[in-house]
Amino acid sequence: MKGNELFNLQELLSRQKLLICFSGPFSHSVIEELGKAVRNHLENERIEKSAIMDVFSVYVEQAQNVRNYTASREALGRPIPANSGIVVIGKEDDHYVVSSGNLVEADDVPGLSAMLEKLRGLDKAGLKAVYKEQSRKPREAGASGAGLGLIDMARKATRPLEYSLRAVDDTYFFFSLEVQL
Amino acid sequence: MDSLRIEATSCSPLIDFDPAAGLLRIEGESYPENSFDFYAPVFNWLEDYLKTPAPAVVLDIGLSYLNTSSIKCMIDVLEMLDGAHQQGQTVSVRWHYDSDNDRALDMAEEFAEDVSLPFEILAH
Repeated sequence: MKGNELFNLQELLSRQKLLICFSGPFSHSVIEELGKAVRNHLENERIEKSAIMDVFSVYVEQAQNVRNYTASREALGRPIPANSGIVVIGKEDDHYVVSSGNLVEADDVPGLSAMLEKLRGLDKAGLKAVYKEQSRKPREAGASGAGLGLIDMARKATRPLEYSLRAVDDTYFFFSLEVQL
Repeated sequence: MDSLRIEATSCSPLIDFDPAAGLLRIEGESYPENSFDFYAPVFNWLEDYLKTPAPAVVLDIGLSYLNTSSIKCMIDVLEMLDGAHQQGQTVSVRWHYDSDNDRALDMAEEFAEDVSLPFEILAH
């Protein structure tokens, strides 16, 4: 990357009061190592343990969602363009914001936005009820997750989940998700 | 029946099940690459064991963090034990948590809500 492009990228990232930004192939070891770095950093900030665990757990759910989705498309023989996932942890005023972005297939967009709209409309009690309902469902054969990640993030968030879905081409949308803690 | 022991890693917990003593321990953090693969031997072992368990079975859980797919696995483990309890076996759970970590307490309480077996939550 050219020097001025790097400068612009760094400047953009600095404005977000960034703790960590990763874009590239999400392997389990990358998720784990970055997670450790985030926790070490937050422990040095001397914030409450429960706040550290909220940031860490939202980060893990987002990163694992990106990785699992990518792996599931690969398993179907429809690999997603390489390295299109990103996770960012930043600080706004006195709270943390964990965001992720990744390409999703156009066919998955209606289901994803319906789920997010539903979660955005629920209060804490409603979110807990949806969480309990989902957690009692039998696991789907071959599924890598339990379908609890988004609900769990919504429960930890202090504001409704923010998201966007932007068409990239005929096949893919870029899905971004922002969780305010 | 053989004991089951899986050593802890940085993202998966220690599993230490002693069938004769009826002592089952799960300790550490749980966010493995694939939770269902990780817990499959645990489910298989328990399914066998709960047919003829020790006179009293205690599950000691000391999990400071679980990702959501591990939470689902732990719900399934607790449901298996709860089933044995409902059939008259003596089965109980002791959930240990670090008293600095409110989230660990919230999580333990939510697990306890869904089962009828004796469930103690102990701060350390």
